Amino acid sequence: MIRRALLVLATLMLFACALGLITAQHRSRSLFVDLERAQQEAKQLDVDYERLTIELARLSQPASVERAAQRLGFKAPDPAQTVYLNLPQASAASPVAPGVKR
Amino acid sequence: MTAANGRRAGRSAGRNDRGSAGRERVGFNANPLLMVAIPAWRSKLMLFALFVGFVALGGRAFYLMGGVTTEFLQRQGEARYARTLDVPATRGRVTDRNGIVLASSVPARAVWAIPEDVEATPAQIAELARLLEMNPGELKRRLANDDRSFVYLRRQVDVEVMDRIAALKIAGVHSSREFKRHYPEGPTSAHVVGFTNVEDRGQEGVELAHERELAGRAGSRRVIKDRLGRIVEDDWLREPVDGRDISLSLDSRVQYIASSALRSAVEKHRAKAGAAIVLDVKTGEVLALANWPSYDPNARTRLSGDAIRNRVLTDTFEPGSTMKPFSVAAALEAGKVRPDTRIQTAPGKLTIGDRTIGDAHAHGLLTVEEVVAKSSNVGTAKIALDLPAQTLWETYTSLGFGQAPRLGFPGAVAGRLRPAKTWRPIEQATISYGHGVSVTLVQLARAYTVFANDGQLAPLSLVRLDSAPPMVQVLSPPTARAMRKMLEMGVSDEGTAPLARIAGYRVAGKTGTAYKIKNGQYVKDYVASFVGLAPVSDPRIVIAVMVDEPGGGAYYGGQVAAPVFAQIAGATLRTLQVAPDGPLEAPKALLALRQAP
Repeated sequence: MIRRALLVLATLMLFACALGLITAQHRSRSLFVDLERAQQEAKQLDVDYERLTIELARLSQPASVERAAQRLGFKAPDPAQTVYLNLPQASAASPVAPGVKR
Repeated sequence: MTAANGRRAGRSAGRNDRGSAGRERVGFNANPLLMVAIPAWRSKLMLFALFVGFVALGGRAFYLMGGVTTEFLQRQGEARYARTLDVPATRGRVTDRNGIVLASSVPARAVWAIPEDVEATPAQIAELARLLEMNPGELKRRLANDDRSFVYLRRQVDVEVMDRIAALKIAGVHSSREFKRHYPEGPTSAHVVGFTNVEDRGQEGVELAHERELAGRAGSRRVIKDRLGRIVEDDWLREPVDGRDISLSLDSRVQYIASSALRSAVEKHRAKAGAAIVLDVKTGEVLALANWPSYDPNARTRLSGDAIRNRVLTDTFEPGSTMKPFSVAAALEAGKVRPDTRIQTAPGKLTIGDRTIGDAHAHGLLTVEEVVAKSSNVGTAKIALDLPAQTLWETYTSLGFGQAPRLGFPGAVAGRLRPAKTWRPIEQATISYGHGVSVTLVQLARAYTVFANDGQLAPLSLVRLDSAPPMVQVLSPPTARAMRKMLEMGVSDEGTAPLARIAGYRVAGKTGTAYKIKNGQYVKDYVASFVGLAPVSDPRIVIAVMVDEPGGGAYYGGQVAAPVFAQIAGATLRTLQVAPDGPLEAPKALLALRQAP
């Protein structure tokens, strides 16, 4: 009698495990689909970023800045109009002062 | 039950049709056929046949799934849900030293068609032609080409445009993924950056020189797709490696300054071409390298070899007087002369063997300093002839002449400097003032960094350096300083290039005007050049400018190339935020030039 009960229990557990496996597999796949979608989105954002960087570079290239400056009647300052300040640690070693970006 | 049926049947039969009363005894289970005895072996045979059938099925299933050959079915199954996807690597960016993008790739689409599959209304064709920016007739001609099973309609189409083409839903028109390279700075830095072809492979410039780092390596992955085409499992066969970004030594602002100054000079003097290079003295980095004519790497439909040519690196020319400082430096270094030693250059002519060399103007008794400042051929030749040919040759060679610069740039050439043993005295004299020797502009500029950097020579670099490279001491510091003083005299009102001076900074430099050689003969075409450094008190940059065949009357280096130097130097030093070391008001020569354009 006990043996039969154990057998039934084991069978039920087997079924439960099988169903659990199927659920787990399904969940892993749907999570993977989500991951894939998110990665795709990340890639697309990368592409957009790249495109915007190019656009920014194109719009801020010195030629267009100069054209705009001419239109507005701007002039480059000459050294006589410039006040030069010497910082204690002048960044004379590098040709471009750090943080100078356009 | 069956007996009851029989009775009912009998009753109704009795009621409706008495004539058929004879059937009443023949019930369903009373069929006489059932009475026939069937031999037992027949059912056993049937059972056996069924058993054999099941065994055959089981054997077949075992054969296909677990046994001898499983490959075929597995392959067939996989073909229905597994795919191998190629994952392209993105080509690295090329940026300038401050991170400004000079070249970058974004995904694009190649639009192609299978002509025999194409079914489209004329309106659809017209719309497709508009989206592809093609002539409708040309598009129709391509689609009518039935003997070809594949035809590209247009490559490197923007993704948005492709989406709109896909919305037209024309049968037989397809697209595939590819990349398009963008060059936001356009012609300004075209010669350094170069360009890629439609397959995204480098063809010129840095794109070609650093092809391997930029390209990366495409990967592939094995994926399992579900019923909806979504990827549910994957397995990387090979991870893609994206191309590395390359950070060039160029400063795009300086590049623009050089490029536009050069362009206006070439146009003003109606010259054939021009080239300019700006070097960082302390590191040997190339801050700008400009050529004119140039081209737009984004639209290369009409490319001429003339426009592509990177004259700074690939064109050799006889440098003329820009070579003189090296000959004088060699003599100073050897202790043959001192800056104040007097040299007799009268009467402005010098006969060596059967040949006579001369100065443009006769000068008389000059100090060595004045020989350089006034650019006397006779004086330089006399100084150089006092030295062993080998010493001169060694000086030139240690400065990089006669060897291709190690820039890792395609097409950089060595120029021509013959071995000292083959020099005749007249050749030694002419080589000392820059004839009978050929150099590239980049070699000249690099050699001048020796004067700017107290005798130290740095290797050139087109990529940004994080620390100063190892230097080679070529000249002694006193010699370099003495040369700097002479070169500064060269831009004084008494020198050859007063137009090179700028407001706020002390500059120094040397002009060059040389005849060109065509088919082995000197012709009346000139190369005007100027090489200079600034600011003199603590040099930061060397600028070399070359204008090829100026055609507007002026052809001296001091008239044509020196103003370009001044323009580039002034704007560059301001851009690099270098503190001024000279008088702040604009020099008189420059004002005169501005008033009388």
